[in-house]
Amino acid sequence: MISAAVLERPGRWRVLGLAAGLAAALLPGAPLVWEVVTGAGSASVFGGDFALAVGRSLIVGGGAAILALVVGFPTGLLAGLYRFRGRRVLLAGVALPLLIPSFLWAIGLSMLRIELGLPRESLLSGATGCIFSFAAIGVPLVIFAVLLAVGSTAASNLDATRLAGGELAVLRYAGRACFPAALSACLLGGILSLADPGPGQILGFSGAATQVLVSFSALYDFELAARQCIVVAGVVLAAASPLVWFTAGKLAAGLLPRNATPMRPARWPAAEWAAPLLLGLVFALSVLAPVAGLVQPVLGRFWLDRTWETVARTGANTVVYALLAGLVATGLATWLAVCAARVASLRIAFVAGLIVVFVLPPALNALGTALAASGAPAWLDPVLRSRLTVGAVLGLRLTPLAGIVLLRAMCTAPASWALAAAVHGVPLGTYCRRVLAPFLAGPIAISVALVALLATADVTTVLLLQPPGQSSFPVALFTVMANAPESMVGSLALAYVMIACIAIAAVLLVNILVKPLALARGSVSAT
Amino acid sequence: MRITIESLIAAAALAFFTAGCNRTSDKPAEVVVYSSVDEVFARPVAERFSEDTDIAVRLVPDTEETKSTGLLNRLIAERERPQADVFWSGDPVRAAILKSKGVSEPYRSPNAAALPVLYSDAEGHWTGFSARARVLIYNKELVAEGEEPRSVLDLNDPRFQGKACIANPLFGTTSMHAAALFQVIGEEKARDFFQRFIENGGSIVSSNGEVRRRVAAGDFAVGITDTDDFNVAFQEGKPVAAVYPDQDGMGTLIVPNAAVLVRGGPNPDGGKQFIDYLLRPETEKALAESEAAQMPVRPGVAVPDYVQPLDELQPMQVHYGELADLLERLSAGFLREWVEASSR
Repeated sequence: MISAAVLERPGRWRVLGLAAGLAAALLPGAPLVWEVVTGAGSASVFGGDFALAVGRSLIVGGGAAILALVVGFPTGLLAGLYRFRGRRVLLAGVALPLLIPSFLWAIGLSMLRIELGLPRESLLSGATGCIFSFAAIGVPLVIFAVLLAVGSTAASNLDATRLAGGELAVLRYAGRACFPAALSACLLGGILSLADPGPGQILGFSGAATQVLVSFSALYDFELAARQCIVVAGVVLAAASPLVWFTAGKLAAGLLPRNATPMRPARWPAAEWAAPLLLGLVFALSVLAPVAGLVQPVLGRFWLDRTWETVARTGANTVVYALLAGLVATGLATWLAVCAARVASLRIAFVAGLIVVFVLPPALNALGTALAASGAPAWLDPVLRSRLTVGAVLGLRLTPLAGIVLLRAMCTAPASWALAAAVHGVPLGTYCRRVLAPFLAGPIAISVALVALLATADVTTVLLLQPPGQSSFPVALFTVMANAPESMVGSLALAYVMIACIAIAAVLLVNILVKPLALARGSVSAT
Repeated sequence: MRITIESLIAAAALAFFTAGCNRTSDKPAEVVVYSSVDEVFARPVAERFSEDTDIAVRLVPDTEETKSTGLLNRLIAERERPQADVFWSGDPVRAAILKSKGVSEPYRSPNAAALPVLYSDAEGHWTGFSARARVLIYNKELVAEGEEPRSVLDLNDPRFQGKACIANPLFGTTSMHAAALFQVIGEEKARDFFQRFIENGGSIVSSNGEVRRRVAAGDFAVGITDTDDFNVAFQEGKPVAAVYPDQDGMGTLIVPNAAVLVRGGPNPDGGKQFIDYLLRPETEKALAESEAAQMPVRPGVAVPDYVQPLDELQPMQVHYGELADLLERLSAGFLREWVEASSR
């Protein structure tokens, strides 16, 4: 019988488990990285403009991260701490940008600039336009990271702070406690921009992702592309190391059992207008702006038959890919969080590993998997060439998001629970099933939902790995965008947004159903 | 309703199981087609093929808008054990690249006999059919009558200073057009054209679709795009018009589709049947009548009024088979440097 205390003690299994988990997350891209190791590529990775492009990308990624933090942190804090009218609906609304591929946002921004009559070299194009585009995804990431962090704050701590210093003190201390989670999320949001060439292509900005895309799609030089990806990962890791050090250390904030009653949002008159205002602004700028231009042509004609045919053909695949991605990412992240949460050096290694995973572009993982499948025997096709593959590769790439959520949750789990269980002879399995799993149920549900939303927006992985004929709805939409009538594209886009709203509502429902379960099990929920 | 951890695990296991099973694996006859032709045009043809032959088509279309790492990379990555039987390419250069990478297999369709040899590979690795053309698109509200561009070289004319755009010449048909310019007017003149384009305030946008959008919206007065892109804007009533460039000079670049049989594909017979189907005069006619408004390359196929008959055009005299090598060299050299310099 393995004691529950093993979860709180150091051990070699933690290092091995963390290494194995991170290796699994990097596995899809490994075949291409192996080509770099074994190949004798002649083209210099720093040929042309690559070094400058990496520098430009770091500036744009940093800008997007800062903007996401500035907007998302106060919004998430207010939304997490206080009750106000329309809270759930607005929160669901600001999750929508996660479903919208970044290049679509860039197209919307480009059209908006034209409508406003701004010159081509305005703030809405080039590097600044890209910062706005990527911040549209970073802001909801930060909001939900802060929401989760606020949710894991103890009710007794907040009550005591409120009594001592009022709501401003609550904001100050809760903000301080949640800042590392917000910083981690904005960091990931910024890093996401480094692997995405879409907005740069549309808004006229050439960054590292553009260079990698050129190596893949114009030069067909997989090895050069893989080497560029490795260099970008190294540079980003070096640039982000101070933040990694800071956030990994501060994420550990274990609660005491007596403080483990979760907080509940309170009422505060100032928050009743400020929070909806902030969330409404985020919703308007990140959802309405890009979608409005696309949906407007539907007023002339709605392509019901075509929309229905596309939804019927691709709907099930879309759900399967998204759910699998959520499950894979969350499962792996939970394991990694269990391995790393209690040891400071492992937390640093964990966050650093997540950055490396996130900075690699989807194409590297997808083509690496396609390469591996091509060389593998046919009997492995159900694993390497199926919908499972698509979901798994999507999930492995998005593990960092789930990782931050689960690491924070594991770090707040009271250590005395496992120690008390060990003293009473409770086996590890029983402890995990009866105590740890209910405690993590909320973060797990949020993690699955966040990853599923972001996975839905990924077009590259599905395009390169889908079993023939099993496309997803976004891929179907974006393969007709170039030449279909605008009213048809608008009809499909409108259907996409409506389905997304339904999906988010379903996620909210699951979250509502899971929470009472956790409480009924005699434990607490972290959210 | 109660959700238990066990039921969640069971649901996850079920999802994994069903995801691992490909739904169509029990179908007796099928063909897998990867296509870089826009889905709105490719899917109706694939569906008609299925109706006529009872062979199911599993279509994997590409996407232009994202400039993503598209299907050509997938075909190259899968070449050891391909999933595709046919690659229906929107241009012959991508087909020629597949030939150079060892992905394609020679196949001479009986229906190719009546097609001009100019648009096909001499060794049968790809066969050209219905074509688009590269046209100058201009905004009628921004370009006065009589001031319309007549030549690709007119983009560098002072009257279009700061008002012209082209798609990124590292991708798509624009890359083919760039290589064709180098082949036809020579390296020196082609380099000069690109340098002067930037000096004249020309801009690079992400795709031909973006050229169409930005010219139609009035952000630019003139650009170069494909006929199918132009036709979509025209059908929607946008204030645009098109000019087939250089009709009294080097000619207009014709971009035929190319049908490629993938080497070692899982359903070679089905693949050959699909290629035969693509190369029929009826398919060329259908593509001409669609919104793609493609020009049949086979002589004598009737076309609607809005489709320019190919034999009434002066085509650019290019050697399609050699464009792939030239483009590879240009993409790694001049064009890449030019795009980078333009983006700074």
